[in-house]
Amino acid sequence: MLLQVGFHRAALRRYTGFKSSPYTEGALFYGEKAVNTQIRDAIVAQAGSLTPPTEPQTESFCEPGGA
Amino acid sequence: MKPEFTDAELHQIRTGIQEKYAKVAAQGAGCCFKYPSGREGMVQQGYAMDIVNDLPEDILADFCGVGNPFSLGPLFPGEVVLDIGCGAGVDSFIAACMVGPSGRVVGIDVTPAMLQRARAHQARLGWSQVSFQEAEAEALPFPSAEFDAIISNGVFNLTIHKSKALNEAHRVLKPGGRLMLADMVLVAALPPDRQDQIANWYQ
Repeated sequence: MLLQVGFHRAALRRYTGFKSSPYTEGALFYGEKAVNTQIRDAIVAQAGSLTPPTEPQTESFCEPGGA
Repeated sequence: MKPEFTDAELHQIRTGIQEKYAKVAAQGAGCCFKYPSGREGMVQQGYAMDIVNDLPEDILADFCGVGNPFSLGPLFPGEVVLDIGCGAGVDSFIAACMVGPSGRVVGIDVTPAMLQRARAHQARLGWSQVSFQEAEAEALPFPSAEFDAIISNGVFNLTIHKSKALNEAHRVLKPGGRLMLADMVLVAALPPDRQDQIANWYQ
């Protein structure tokens, strides 16, 4: 369905292990809205190949009213 | 699940979902889910604990997500993010930490009681980069190409017109924008006596 509406790199990435019933489980889906190849490659490089962030955000981002 | 519904069935689904989440707003996430909620759920899903630990415990207690959409990729300072089905706003606040004060996060939900909780949390935190409004995933009240990223956690399974909702998500994303969803999916066939039951939507 993600591909049908135009998302690129669309995929069910993995299951989360959280079950709301014997028949259902959490899952993680990802998709991107396409741009031209050059811009998209830059975004992918910036995102570090879509791996989880390894550098935790600093607390200053979270201070009330902004840092 | 039936692809088409009568008006009465649509009303029953929407009312059932609203009533369930009004109960969550009133009693807390611990009342209504069979998987871990609150801080425990966030820990199990691998949320960044340095951010989680910056939020008050009573806000964390409202977490009832089914996964960790942030595990699909980072948000960057200054980005504009939409949280579809934000509930009490826990993921919106996590996103706000990631985009920082130069970014912006908009949380939408269909349950007024949950939005009331989200706004109360926002007022307490005083984070000006976060806002909440009532809206449906199938009709996003935003211009095209508005957002750098969309997050959502356990919401699209409750959306009746999923293709319409995904089209709307695609429309409001900027070119190159990322959709990062955690949601419930069927992993086994429902027994015959539970198939096509309207109550499956909200129980």
